[in-house]
Amino acid sequence: MKKRAVVAGVGESTYYERGRASESEFQLACIAIRNAVADAGLALADVDGFVSYMDQRNDPMRLALALGCKQLTYTAQPWGGGGNGMASAVMLADAAVSGGFAKHVVVFRALAQGQFGRFGQAGGAGYARGNFAFTATYGLLSPAQICALQTSAFMARHGISQEALCDIALASYHHAQSNPRALRYGKPLTREKYHASRWIAEPFHLYDCCPENDGAAAIVVTTPERARDLRKKPVPILAASQGLGFRDGAGAFNEHVFPTAHKHVVGRAIWEQSGVTPADLDVVQFYENFTGPVLIAMCEMGLAPPEGIEEFVSGGRLLAPHGALPLNTSGGNLGEAYIHGFECVVEAVRQVRGESTAQVPDVELSLAVAGPGFAPGSAVLFSN
Amino acid sequence: MARYLGESWMLPGTDALTKRFFTAGALVFQQCAKCAHVQHPPTDVCGACQSFEFTERASAGRGRIESLTVAHYAVHPALHDRVPYVVVLVSVDDVPGVRVVGNVVNRAPDEVAVGQRVRVCFEEAKDPESGEVLRIPQWEVVA
Repeated sequence: MKKRAVVAGVGESTYYERGRASESEFQLACIAIRNAVADAGLALADVDGFVSYMDQRNDPMRLALALGCKQLTYTAQPWGGGGNGMASAVMLADAAVSGGFAKHVVVFRALAQGQFGRFGQAGGAGYARGNFAFTATYGLLSPAQICALQTSAFMARHGISQEALCDIALASYHHAQSNPRALRYGKPLTREKYHASRWIAEPFHLYDCCPENDGAAAIVVTTPERARDLRKKPVPILAASQGLGFRDGAGAFNEHVFPTAHKHVVGRAIWEQSGVTPADLDVVQFYENFTGPVLIAMCEMGLAPPEGIEEFVSGGRLLAPHGALPLNTSGGNLGEAYIHGFECVVEAVRQVRGESTAQVPDVELSLAVAGPGFAPGSAVLFSN
Repeated sequence: MARYLGESWMLPGTDALTKRFFTAGALVFQQCAKCAHVQHPPTDVCGACQSFEFTERASAGRGRIESLTVAHYAVHPALHDRVPYVVVLVSVDDVPGVRVVGNVVNRAPDEVAVGQRVRVCFEEAKDPESGEVLRIPQWEVVA
């Protein structure tokens, strides 16, 4: 069994609608990190490592300068894609502290889409080059359209109805209603409102798609020994994995397995490392840029077979506190804020601490699964 | 044949790897010259034997719609008067494992469904930079 690095602190900035943040993206990153470090009971000067994913702007050298870090001994980002790196980043921090390369590593994601444009925003007209030629030439450009093509194949093959997608959206919006941080707080969604909303890219309605937001979220990862004397109960990283399978990540939907959320290898690793099974989980956070791929990711992680996934997500089973397996209990990307999924990691930790605004009783195992759109996928399992 | 998404829509850039697919006037895929492995999209190393030498495999251009989406929201200004449009993923009959993205050009978006049989057709466009004539693979539902 792996050594158990722990999460010692979590924090976030205020979350804003796209373009509404009064702070710069870098300032939002600093706010989230400051809050996570304070939550841990550490000083900013003690931070000696930074990990993010798909972040070209808020680099560790600039952060160390702004935050007054005494020394910096570890900087890293996982390769590839976008939100798929959300849990890979936690894995890299775990590796850093478990391997002795750093003592207190901050993992964060900051994005102000109003300042820098939308992540995954479609490019201009002109030429579609490289693998993009095989998709954009045909008007397939946005993440919504790409995930829609994955989802409609999955629905057709396994006889899954629109209601299953709706249930994913309803769970996120339901949980956002008890979370004052959530941008959809006070804006409940009903099944009727979902079905009446306009199409974006079939089978996705408006409410299948996450909003664009400004904000930042962060955690502090350290060793269990160092965390013993800190302010909050440490939350062990029981398992963390990153992975792709044979031809996973080939362009233009030519993976060996189609459709996929790139979670086959990731799922197997999580259960092997941890020695637990999907049936043991108490609560889950799944990165939902769009609802459909959550269904695929759940199946690939081993939570249910495709033939049973529609029932698995139906009838309030995803709702805290007493559903069979509550999903996205802070509201997730759809309901809380699209911080590229890192709000899901923060929420997974809060569930183990008993600090969620939609708390599940007696959480022992809390899973966070990263974005489905690109390989390699990733996931992290926290334990009590 | 006129372009499905309009004459102003983006063209495929033709580099050493993509050129044949978009100019051949037949449905062709990259095939390893050493081990005969077919891979799409094309890359510069064979994923089966790591050879750098390639030839091509021609397909008869028949297939089945494996997935589709109908785009209602125009993600680019040039598509505002083109939505809703349909994008399909086609499994090619005679080249197992290969899937090709395209548009169905002979049916309204709401008449296209997973499982329908399709055959390849080509839309022509002239690349204003290179002067090259492109023959972009597209799909027709077979009645």
